[in-house]
Amino acid sequence: MQAWIEFGQGPLFRFAFVLMALGLARIFVLTLVNVAEAYRRNPDKIINYREVFNKTVAWFIPAGRLWRKRPVYSLVSFLFHAGLILVPLFLAAHVSLWRQSTGFGWFSLPQGLADALTLIALAGALILFLMRAFYAPARALSRRQDYAWPLLLAVPFLTGYLMVNVSVSASGYQWMMLLHLYSAALIMILIPFTKIAHCILAPLSQVVTAVSWKFPAGAGDRVLETLGLEDRPTWVDKPRLGIEREMTRELPEVKPAEKEAKAS
Amino acid sequence: MKVNPLSPEERQKAFANSKKPEVVRRQQLPVQYHVEDHDLQDRPRRFLEAFAAILKHTNYRPALEHYVRVSAKCSRCTTHCQVYLATGDPRDVPCNRSELLLWVYRRHFTVAGVLRGRLTADPGLTDEHIQRMAASFYDCTACRRCHFECPLGVDHALITHLGRYILSEIGIAPRALVVSVREQLIGASGNTSAIPVPALLDTLEFLSDDMKEEKGVDIPFPIDQEGAEYLFLPAVSDFLMEADTLMGNAAVFAATGDRWTVGTGYFDGINYGLFYSDQVLEKVLLKIKAEAERLKVKKILIGECGHASRTAKFFYPTYCGGKEALPVINIMEYTWQRWKEGRIKLNPDVITEKVTYHDPCNIARPGWIVNQPRELLKAFCRDYVEMTPGGRDNICCGGGGGTVSIDEIRPYRTIVGGRAKAEQIRATGAKYVVAPCANCKKQLRELVEDNGIDCEIVGLHDLLYKAIVFDKQG
Repeated sequence: MQAWIEFGQGPLFRFAFVLMALGLARIFVLTLVNVAEAYRRNPDKIINYREVFNKTVAWFIPAGRLWRKRPVYSLVSFLFHAGLILVPLFLAAHVSLWRQSTGFGWFSLPQGLADALTLIALAGALILFLMRAFYAPARALSRRQDYAWPLLLAVPFLTGYLMVNVSVSASGYQWMMLLHLYSAALIMILIPFTKIAHCILAPLSQVVTAVSWKFPAGAGDRVLETLGLEDRPTWVDKPRLGIEREMTRELPEVKPAEKEAKAS
Repeated sequence: MKVNPLSPEERQKAFANSKKPEVVRRQQLPVQYHVEDHDLQDRPRRFLEAFAAILKHTNYRPALEHYVRVSAKCSRCTTHCQVYLATGDPRDVPCNRSELLLWVYRRHFTVAGVLRGRLTADPGLTDEHIQRMAASFYDCTACRRCHFECPLGVDHALITHLGRYILSEIGIAPRALVVSVREQLIGASGNTSAIPVPALLDTLEFLSDDMKEEKGVDIPFPIDQEGAEYLFLPAVSDFLMEADTLMGNAAVFAATGDRWTVGTGYFDGINYGLFYSDQVLEKVLLKIKAEAERLKVKKILIGECGHASRTAKFFYPTYCGGKEALPVINIMEYTWQRWKEGRIKLNPDVITEKVTYHDPCNIARPGWIVNQPRELLKAFCRDYVEMTPGGRDNICCGGGGGTVSIDEIRPYRTIVGGRAKAEQIRATGAKYVVAPCANCKKQLRELVEDNGIDCEIVGLHDLLYKAIVFDKQG
């Protein structure tokens, strides 16, 4: 058992963490490259950066907008995310482990606050799971991973909380540590390949959308060429103006009659 | 915003298919709108080929790639879609609609999807899936309201736009739109309403005569004025149906004295490309460019029309020269500016009835034209009330995304699409609903008629025409 725990604390953790970090870095950079390529491809460089920025930060500082629609769900999901992000990064025990092994440490949360955030995250995971299961439109949207994630995310939080706050037998403690380590590693490994990738990609959404609405000039014709559809009626080499067809400027005969009709 | 659920009769009426069964069978397409006959062979394969070609030449890939990664299926958009609020059908949740196309992308254009498909012997895209997309993407009005409510920033209207574009490349697009576009690009008249130039000139002269009688001043429609400041392009249907709006537009210019012109080479602001094809979008804008160059104008001025304004404002630079492209403005912006400068005088005692303002999605959603018309209306309407929600967060009239031009789906538009809007209008109790958009006007007129609401749908310049005062009478 101890060997398994040591494996989880050492090689497995390092592997999972590096995989997560590299995986997230990869998709982040890829997205930026995609955005740059899309920007380069079209001649229209007019992007409303202020709008992009405002929309991006709007969801990170959601005060005022979260509560307008579905306030309970909004509050729960906001607090859930807060706990999910803050506790693993700023728990005193985690920070001291980092300090021991790398020499770097950072600010940590008071234990009472960390415990409260843990409980909030756990309650949040449960409520979000139930909402997904029982709110009809959410259920219609859900894939298997959508149900699995809140449950999986709850495992390290639950075991972590129990290890700190509940006295259990030594073997029970070991089991919980094992679960804690291995579930955390699994989460880290999965993050870059699943929807949780939004933890790093969400800030790029607005800029991605903004450049995607910029359609490269001539792309429509190139698509038709590729598909061999140049005989499409809308395929016109040169815009045709009415004037080029020498339309008569004479007014037609019906005019007086129409005027009378309108007058009466 | 709560919307009354559909009764079973309403549901049946809204989703009844008016097409002949043999047409549906022949085209293998159980959608409500008419589609021209097209090649049915290998539809899934051809869809994927079109998808691949579009991904290769356009900028959609970053968005799809990003959306399949971040979409968390959180269901927040359920509170914001007027179609879903009316039907309560989970298939109408914006995220679910987008998933139809995102699934195809994931399955056929990502490594993981292709591998999983091979391993599980999944057949991939089927004809049934294409039929579902063809129906679903035209149930959406592409109003972009759900975009505000997505914490992950997924723009479902972009997906709808792309889905329709790919479908159009395999021949699936509403006949109403396709026929109009054909007339516009290669027809004799060169515009979507097939108005010949002589008829246009006749109409305009007629309107000028009318205005002379009513206002006592010469209010001309300048034709083919080379070197004018503004090239005026309203939705061409205004020339047939919205005489009051046009008279208001002309009156504003008569008051300000700025040089503007209607071009006989091209006078149509409508661009259905926004609704189903980027290729069409580009070709139509190039017509505007050609006419602007012929007449050597300095600015493009779009009339009261939401999608025409959006296509010109946001895509003219894309297709017509980037930052060098001519500036595009909307007539309401122009009028507001000149009114601020004190060059337009409005009599505040003419319009005494209750007036409310409907924001066309295409100009309000980007935050472009929200306050200007409100300031104008408040200046000359005694009893102005707001609709809630309004402004950038307004609710679509229910005819957005080109659906208003599809006459055969009127029951769907007035029972489902415009349901939330109808309740909103009724709640204001207004006599005049100002809807400065040709599409919104048509849809709202049908909406208030079918829902028995007593009010009049007008354009901003219709009312402004009544209130505008000229200094030198006679």
